[in-house]
Amino acid sequence: MQISIDQQASVTVVSVTGSLDALTADALADALAAEVRAGRTRIVASLAGLEYTSSAGLRVLLATVKDARQRGGDLRLAEVQERVRRVLDLSGFTSVLKCFPDLPSAVASYPA
Amino acid sequence: MRATAPSPPAEPGPDWPAPAGTRLYRPRAARADLAAVRAHVAAGARAAGLDAAGRDALVLAADEVCANVVLHAYADAPGPLTVDVAAAPDGGCTCTIVDAGPPFDPAGVRPAPADDTPLAARPVGGLGWHLVRQSVDALRYARVGAHNVVVLERRAAGAAPSTRR
Repeated sequence: MQISIDQQASVTVVSVTGSLDALTADALADALAAEVRAGRTRIVASLAGLEYTSSAGLRVLLATVKDARQRGGDLRLAEVQERVRRVLDLSGFTSVLKCFPDLPSAVASYPA
Repeated sequence: MRATAPSPPAEPGPDWPAPAGTRLYRPRAARADLAAVRAHVAAGARAAGLDAAGRDALVLAADEVCANVVLHAYADAPGPLTVDVAAAPDGGCTCTIVDAGPPFDPAGVRPAPADDTPLAARPVGGLGWHLVRQSVDALRYARVGAHNVVVLERRAAGAAPSTRR
């Protein structure tokens, strides 16, 4: 699982590729927590390359959404693959997390 | 010296699937084994003829069960994990997961919150078994001697109506 972080104006884009499971989710948790702690709370997770997630990945996303929103920010998702979308739907997370079909619209969804 | 895989415990009853199909065995299962579990279940599900959605569902369920084994049953000390994948006679696929941890019955797990639970009220954990139940047509558990045996069943698409909620 690979993570890369890119700043686009006031929005932090965290790109995740590979698979999220109980082994790899901790690294994502640490990376996202570091961004939030640093005050970068307007986050987009770019998931075009994320092929799989289990509940371990969902827990990280949910914890980050709560954390970011408590600080006036958010975590939004872009380019979610169908398999991952299905798991988000099963968990009820699609009613909680905003998903966008492409990265530019996710980034633009934050007010300038 | 190559360790031989132990036999799974004797079947708890006549309606349990016989240990068969392909086996993955880890004597000291850890989180790093989950990717291998997924690959193993995916291959067995494909051989059993499940379609992509069925394979994905069974792989997810197996991952969740095995993650729980590794993280909870073996939190203090690693232990053995056996994952058997077999074709079912009706075109579906069965995955039998055996561990030697303390007794753990999935029926005792508190259900996940409803979809409209406000964000602040949602616990950050507790999703794993919810995903398992949503992904399989049947989930069975038995305590056999010193082992937990979880059986996941995914029927072929178009088979008899499933009990999935």
